[in-house]
Amino acid sequence: MHVKTGKLSRLHWGAGLAAAVLVLALAVYGPPALKAAAPQDYEALRLYTEALFEISQKYVTPKSEEDMIYGSLRGMMNSLDPDCSFLTPREYQDYLEGKKGPGGEAGVDLIYKDNLLTVASALDGGPAWRAGLRPGDHILKINGQLARNLTTQEGARRFRGAPGTTIKLQVIRNGLVKPLDLSVTLEEPLKAGSVAFQVLPDSCGYVRIKYFTGETPGELTAALKALLSYRPALKGLVLDLRNNARGTLEQAVRSATVLVGEKEIVAVKGRGPESSQTYMGKARGIAVKSPLPPLVVLTDQGTARAAEIMAGALRDQDQAVLLGAKTLGLCGLTKAMPLVDGSALVMTVATCYTPNGAKIQGKGLEPEVAGKPLVAKPGGEKAGPPAPDQDPWVLQAVDLLKSGKARHVAIKGPKQEAP
Amino acid sequence: MGTNMRRNSWIAGTVAVLLSLGLVLTALAQNPAERAALPGDTKLKVFAQAMTLAEENYAEPKTAKDLVYGAIQGAVSTLDAHSAFMNPDEFKELQIETKGQFSGIGIEITLKDQMLIVVSPIEGTPAYRAGIQAGDQIVKINGQTTKGMPLTEAVKMIRGPKGSKVTLTLNREGFAAPKDFAIVREIIPIRSVKGRLVEGGIGYIRVTNFQDQTDSDLSAMLKKMRQRVPFKGLVLDLRNDPGGLLDQAVRVADEFLSSGIVVYTEGRTPQQNMRFYARPGQEGESPPFPMVVLINEGSASASEIVAGALKDQKRALIVGTKSFGKGSVQTIIPLDDGSALRLTTALYFTPSGVTIQDKGIVPDVVVEEKPPPAEKSLQSLRDEALERHMRREGLTDKPWNQPITAPELERDLPLKRAVELLRHWPPPKSLAQNPPA
Repeated sequence: MHVKTGKLSRLHWGAGLAAAVLVLALAVYGPPALKAAAPQDYEALRLYTEALFEISQKYVTPKSEEDMIYGSLRGMMNSLDPDCSFLTPREYQDYLEGKKGPGGEAGVDLIYKDNLLTVASALDGGPAWRAGLRPGDHILKINGQLARNLTTQEGARRFRGAPGTTIKLQVIRNGLVKPLDLSVTLEEPLKAGSVAFQVLPDSCGYVRIKYFTGETPGELTAALKALLSYRPALKGLVLDLRNNARGTLEQAVRSATVLVGEKEIVAVKGRGPESSQTYMGKARGIAVKSPLPPLVVLTDQGTARAAEIMAGALRDQDQAVLLGAKTLGLCGLTKAMPLVDGSALVMTVATCYTPNGAKIQGKGLEPEVAGKPLVAKPGGEKAGPPAPDQDPWVLQAVDLLKSGKARHVAIKGPKQEAP
Repeated sequence: MGTNMRRNSWIAGTVAVLLSLGLVLTALAQNPAERAALPGDTKLKVFAQAMTLAEENYAEPKTAKDLVYGAIQGAVSTLDAHSAFMNPDEFKELQIETKGQFSGIGIEITLKDQMLIVVSPIEGTPAYRAGIQAGDQIVKINGQTTKGMPLTEAVKMIRGPKGSKVTLTLNREGFAAPKDFAIVREIIPIRSVKGRLVEGGIGYIRVTNFQDQTDSDLSAMLKKMRQRVPFKGLVLDLRNDPGGLLDQAVRVADEFLSSGIVVYTEGRTPQQNMRFYARPGQEGESPPFPMVVLINEGSASASEIVAGALKDQKRALIVGTKSFGKGSVQTIIPLDDGSALRLTTALYFTPSGVTIQDKGIVPDVVVEEKPPPAEKSLQSLRDEALERHMRREGLTDKPWNQPITAPELERDLPLKRAVELLRHWPPPKSLAQNPPA
């Protein structure tokens, strides 16, 4: 969503709420005053100062205190989950002012996880995709520099710049012996719509959501209306949510409404009751009043955030069958919290649960039907993903719909553990 | 026990100077005032505030210690790539690796296709005597199923105090049903030195890493070889040896040198400035037999110290490809709660005053190894290496006194070249700018 608004948190409360939460945060955490800490806090702090002392005394070259402390805060946030980040005073100022960076982007969503900068998703046919980046790739070097000690936010910043800028990458992929050398040229964000659709042979409809924007609910409604007015009537629908890690909670809720109607879409839960909330769809949001044909939703390791909310809601409310690979499991609400020196933490304060109570964050959604193993082609498809009618998992979904067993699988599907 | 691959990745990039415990504690005791004053007031306040915010607001409860571990990890990652933070478990594992022994039953295990299998029992250990074989599948440990058990957890369960018992339930081709093996644990040495003879009185010794026993094992192996055959020369194989203890590197180099400097270090504090000299009277000195050292890009730190000293002192001809280039020394600093820091505290220099950092040791004779096929994945290469090892086909999987055959040499071009050089010693002047004496 940083494409649209330049804000840093990818998935956060609707615009109105965000302000409210921020004010609340300021009321609670600022003006800078410290609460008394518990004994275990002092013990932990003692360990921390011991470590800093040793580094300052013995490390082969002197390090500045600010480097150490800011490095520590990055490390602390990284140890929580990939959506947590640290902002320097300047970065936080930019964040507050909603400053947009330079206009070019690579069309890639990155997360910093297990000390590696990892591709969560790459926009279909976008600059990163065309350069050969794929979900799951680890970025070792950016312009010759090791990608160490970053945060998710910083990783994203390295991939913005003036359109036309070329970034050289060294990438490790899935156990390949040698790193790949790729270069990505930044471009203006795509103006094309976020939803594509077509009718496949065998009377099945195919809808692709590439990423979520404010326009997605409208585009999805139009796509569904077109598909469902098709005659002879479609036997089933394939909704493709693979390789889609971009979007906000609000966009996910409004998009899911199009198919789910007035039912629960997602619940978020944090530490206290005030950080928990249930999001319902609206009756007027629904695209078609008539019953939906059986629905298969495609997911993979690039399915994250808004796409995971939508997949979970469709599975639990519309008996959709998930087919493919486990989703990323990155689905939380973040909040910026200022610190006394003007820097700030971006922290996950609540995480998402599907209507049946399955936790998404850290676990991902496990599809009821595993996608067939894919044969990796050296080089891959440079222009974009394969056409839907040649895509192995789409064809597998069509077979499932043709067999008439999709709903059956959904009802029998494995129960997700409740939180 | 431990596992091959993990051991390698563990020691990777370490020249651990485990002399630090006493030293560090005194340093702490001497400087309470300095210590208190060190973290600037406001910056530490920022940190404390962040910790409290995370404790109270992060979506799931986290302890202050979890947060501080993350923070120390972050602080260390602003340093060089060889500095690291180890939690108590990781620190314990490092101590086992560097001590060169542990208490267990003596098997190497790995996970293959989600199953826990025995890579090999170590000769002479309780597991070996109990008849455990390479390829055995471990179904249960002390009655607990190993399904979904991480490797580290299995290792932990199999290890235990000397004299205590562990029961493994094993499945093997030919068993009608899994069988229980009750085995009493002993102190198991980890071998870092392996050897074979080559036709014509040439010894081949491979050092896999530098730990507490390395020098004495090397010395013993050399002695055995020299007693068995009229000794004409030695190949010391340091390929893919990621290093280990600094003092062991010095001792191994000293094994072949009778005087002169081996290596010196320079750090920020006087304690980190050290010079190490060779002493006369070791097994590998008299008579000074011809010697070739094999290195490649996997030879790092302690390996480079040995290769550098033997090269600079013209004791050995270096054959292979350029070494890794890690010229820094790390000190292990234990922290209060059982965790530890590994910090780069000094740079080291070869006798001729050259730093190895980023440059590596350049061989006198460059011989490339056969590159792996580019399309192969790391996993498939590992699997193949594992299978070979289980069929006992590796160079050092056979008894030391069974000579290396011509077909085996054909598969290892740098070793073949080293043997040829030793057979036609001295090497032509054009090859070595510094012909060894």
